[in-house]
Amino acid sequence: MLDINHLTKRYGKFLAVNDLNLHIDKGEIFGFVGPNGAGKTTTMKIVCGLLDATAGSVTVDGVDALKCSKDIKRKVGYVPDFFGVYDNLKTMEYMEFFGSMYGMSKEDVDEVADGLLELVNLSDKKDVFVDTLSRGMKQRLCVARALIHNPDLLVLDEPNSGLDPRARFEMKEVLKNLGSMGKTIIISSHILPELSEMCTSIGIMDKGHLVTAGHVDEIMNNSGGASKLHIQIVGMDNRDDIRTFMAEQPNVTKVNFMEDEVLVSFNGGEMEAANLLKNIIGRGIAVSGFYKEKENLESLFLEITGGSN
Amino acid sequence: MKKQLRINPILKKEMVVGSRSMKMSWAIMGVSAILTAIVVFTLLISQLTAAAGAIYDYSNLVVLFPVLGIAECVMLSLMVPVITSGSISGEREKQTLDIMLTTPISPFSIVLGKLMSAMMIVMMYMIASVPIMAIAFVLGGLSWWNLIGLFIILIYLGIYVGSVGIFCSSVVKKSIAATILTIVIGLAIIIGTSLIYSVTMSIATMYYMTSGTMKPDYYLGPVFVFLFNPYSPIFDFMVRAMSDSSIYDMVSNAQLHPLVALMYRFWIPISMGINLLISFGFLKLAAARVGNVKTKKVKKTNNKVNNQAATAAVPETKSSDNQGN
Repeated sequence: MLDINHLTKRYGKFLAVNDLNLHIDKGEIFGFVGPNGAGKTTTMKIVCGLLDATAGSVTVDGVDALKCSKDIKRKVGYVPDFFGVYDNLKTMEYMEFFGSMYGMSKEDVDEVADGLLELVNLSDKKDVFVDTLSRGMKQRLCVARALIHNPDLLVLDEPNSGLDPRARFEMKEVLKNLGSMGKTIIISSHILPELSEMCTSIGIMDKGHLVTAGHVDEIMNNSGGASKLHIQIVGMDNRDDIRTFMAEQPNVTKVNFMEDEVLVSFNGGEMEAANLLKNIIGRGIAVSGFYKEKENLESLFLEITGGSN
Repeated sequence: MKKQLRINPILKKEMVVGSRSMKMSWAIMGVSAILTAIVVFTLLISQLTAAAGAIYDYSNLVVLFPVLGIAECVMLSLMVPVITSGSISGEREKQTLDIMLTTPISPFSIVLGKLMSAMMIVMMYMIASVPIMAIAFVLGGLSWWNLIGLFIILIYLGIYVGSVGIFCSSVVKKSIAATILTIVIGLAIIIGTSLIYSVTMSIATMYYMTSGTMKPDYYLGPVFVFLFNPYSPIFDFMVRAMSDSSIYDMVSNAQLHPLVALMYRFWIPISMGINLLISFGFLKLAAARVGNVKTKKVKKTNNKVNNQAATAAVPETKSSDNQGN
């Protein structure tokens, strides 16, 4: 769906995006993560045809975003990090205005907008003036607006910025619904736990570089950081034996006994974890529960981008 | 299939938004009040003169035509910059310009839509002034063609000033600065053309006086700088309406080349044509300014801190402040 090859963007001496390579498949929800100034918005604006690139290529569904900016605008829907609404315009008129920008007739817009407003939970606000809507509603309206021409790719730049927890939850639900409908979505956000819940894949950018990209689980597994294994054992009387046995196992770095489970710091992948479980059972230890705690995206992000500086 | 007439989306939106705003209604009412005051004042003066024993000659009220016409042109020249100054800068302030540019609509269509919406207001302003202007026609005995001519002149002036206003709005960030810049450009054109004329004429006169070989031809060359003055066709129109003569008649005694004579004879359409081309140039420049966001540095305008999400949000890097996004 989206192919970015050797994308570079320079503002004078400042290198905003440096040799970025990225591929996003159809139907993916891709999360763009990175500190301010990392180059996320610049990349997104280039994808939307809003910015020229210094070098490289960007194609959306085979259409060159840098050469065919008019065609790309029909393929991409863009939600910026601000609302961009007009006073004295009602919700439906706002949708009609943007629909007409895509050459849609009023009848076509009415037909599509009904469904979109329902999707973003605003079907009861059709005749309400846009400036009276709450921040969360305005942001959801912007999502509906960006979908008016049924784009193949939806690009959202920090859509949850400045929203209260409830509005963020509602926005998350909208995006999840869109994902389940098969829309390809790129979303940048600072709220990492939400991204990890919503996205099928993520890319971490720092100082113009794409540090890592891929499926969330893959990145977590390949991050090299220690994950935690929670092992529930029936009858933990001989703790010393268990501790000694566990410590001898490959990839185990630390063993802690909790009230009803053993917490193991583990730096192996899925297969190594399965082997560990096999070894524990082989040793005759009665295991009643075993799970690998998902690594926190936030800690991974801080680790990759060198902490909070 | 039924074919639908496509109205410029910007014009349509501006008409909806404008119809809900009281600002324009107040502005039109204010302009009409000023025109009414001019008429009442003129009628009062005429009556007082008649009461003092003078002959009350209604045909003298024909003077209302140039007075009201010029007043309308002056007010239009001040009102249109106010209307258009926020056209692009306002979209930037509301941060809706970027969203518009993600749609297939071209930057030129955006500025054209803005100009058309300003022209709709000019039209409303003209219609509102018809009853007042009618006094000059009914009492002063002018023809309806003069009224139609005046409306064409006002539309032309609206397009010219509107184009300059939209260009200024695309250049400067603040609407108030755009208004001032539009008026300054307008004054610069008026003063500039007069200055160029005066200087070149002085040089030519001095040359002819010192050489003594030829009679200076005042009606050639420098005068044509006024073709670039948007108010010169208005002046010619007023002269034609009031005295049944024109700039051409004023210089007809001079020995003119037939082509030059033709220029004088058709001063109004030629000058209007030139100035409308200049307006088109201003619109093109404005469109280029609107479209050149592609080269501008991305600047995060939204520094809203997600207080609610503070625990979950990633701390910003120290170097981020000066790096744009």
